[in-house]
Amino acid sequence: MRILVIEDEKKTASFIRKALQAEGFAVDVCGNGEDALAAVAATPFDALLLDIMLPGRDGLGVLSQLRERGNKIPVLLLSARGEVNERVAGLNAGADDYLPKPFVIAELVARVRALVRRGGETKSTVLRLANLALDTVTHEAQRGENKIELTVREYRLLEFLLRNPNRICGRMSIIEKVWDYDFDPGTNLVDVYMRRLREKIDDGFEAKLLHTVRGIGYVLKEAA
Amino acid sequence: MTVRTRLTLWYAGIMFVSLLAMGGLSYYKFVQEPRNHVLRTANVSSDLIVEDENEDFSQTLKILFWCGLPPAFLALGGGWWLIRKSFAPVAALTQAVERINESNLNAQLSRSGNGDELDRLTEVFNAMTARLDSSFQRIREFTLHASHELKTPLTILHGEIETELHAEKLPPAQREKFASQLDEIQRLTKIVDGLTLLTKADAGQIELKFAALALDEIVNDVFADAQILAKPASLSVTLAACEKISISGDRHRLRQLLLNLADNAVKYNQPGGTVGFCLHRAGADAELKITNTGKSIPPETLPRVFERFYRGDAAHNSATDGCGLGLSIAEWIVRAHHGDIRIASTENLTTVTIRLPLASGKII
Repeated sequence: MRILVIEDEKKTASFIRKALQAEGFAVDVCGNGEDALAAVAATPFDALLLDIMLPGRDGLGVLSQLRERGNKIPVLLLSARGEVNERVAGLNAGADDYLPKPFVIAELVARVRALVRRGGETKSTVLRLANLALDTVTHEAQRGENKIELTVREYRLLEFLLRNPNRICGRMSIIEKVWDYDFDPGTNLVDVYMRRLREKIDDGFEAKLLHTVRGIGYVLKEAA
Repeated sequence: MTVRTRLTLWYAGIMFVSLLAMGGLSYYKFVQEPRNHVLRTANVSSDLIVEDENEDFSQTLKILFWCGLPPAFLALGGGWWLIRKSFAPVAALTQAVERINESNLNAQLSRSGNGDELDRLTEVFNAMTARLDSSFQRIREFTLHASHELKTPLTILHGEIETELHAEKLPPAQREKFASQLDEIQRLTKIVDGLTLLTKADAGQIELKFAALALDEIVNDVFADAQILAKPASLSVTLAACEKISISGDRHRLRQLLLNLADNAVKYNQPGGTVGFCLHRAGADAELKITNTGKSIPPETLPRVFERFYRGDAAHNSATDGCGLGLSIAEWIVRAHHGDIRIASTENLTTVTIRLPLASGKII
């Protein structure tokens, strides 16, 4: 999987590259829109990470130029402005996803993964991790022999985590996908729900599945 | 005494004095002078003349009084009318200037265009508000740019610390230190985000997506979230009433508003306390009350709680993890929905009351 990062801020580009490389992606970086267009024309990338604020032609300009040429490459927009209006403008211009700065790297990595595997998701109706199972049709959850009662919100939370097993899920994507908020509500709602969910799925079991990654988010995984 | 009254009295006074002067001169010109002429030419007894003279004088006074009084009153009324007429544009100008506030500084007062003193005054006013407007504009732009510029270093800081945290062989003490730094960066991020939001709102750059929505559903949602939020502090959460009410509003912003207030009600509560919700119709408005049994807010700080970065004592004593902009944002959301938000605090009961206009069929 080869990703092109278009970001003129060198330090930002550098840690994005490190993080994506650590996840096994091949990463190219370029610092302006014109170079990006040339690189995309020359190399078949699997996804683009595109900053909106670029010297010369800006990110949105690059994006519309690409789409005009009929290039359907998945694009994740990055922006320091991060207002709802701009998100809408970006998605309308043909972006596949949008992430406001400052972001959590885990978030960025999760979104890039989601971009490149789009369409290739598991079709099974039962999601499993270790002895935890969640039926996405009947909304029933089970850990070992224990049936687990879930509220609607808890179900959505667990489904989201189970669809991203072993990956850190940032607070912001949880809020977006589970609560359907496009803003940070500024409460510890997610943490409190996670605590409840943990009580339901982990209490009484030796092997804990739901882990907190301090300052970043949560991950559902079998203990290493 | 208004300027108008004062000028009218002066005007009437001047009128009266000039009438007296006119009377005096006439008396001298038409009575005294001809008499002296006669005296010099004919030989008449001086006794007769004195008697005659007294009679003439009182006669003149009488004429002067009876003929002078109506014009004096006329001068009073006319002056009042005249001055009222000339001051009408000033009154209009006063009203127009009174309507000027921070949000409509770019509006210009309408000018008569006839180039008189008042037209000139209006022009000066317009120039002044234009200068104020551009200053306000500059402050807004500065804040907007500042919060925007802060985001790049914050992204880098967050990214680099997060990268450090991912290192496998990091000593626990180091890990704790980095995690704590991340927490602070996230707090800073929230402040910057809040500031950006409010600055954009001030500049009218945020469009709300109005649609007909069921307010009771949102309240029910937030009620459920509040129960979860309240559990660790073992507070009880009650929903006294939740009438079916539909309003026109922005779903996301209203959820943000209610969640924010619910979060405050939980955060500033006392152990074993209560958070109460109550939604009902009140005239042409939907009224939502959110109460909490936390420490009461002193009356002198109550009007200031909606100010940006204002923190009352309550906030100092308990959680300070907020960004200090929550209630300012809440106030903005309510205002943007043409509603009203108030906060009242009595002994151990703080009530936030929100009134939002009911949907009137048309989307605002």
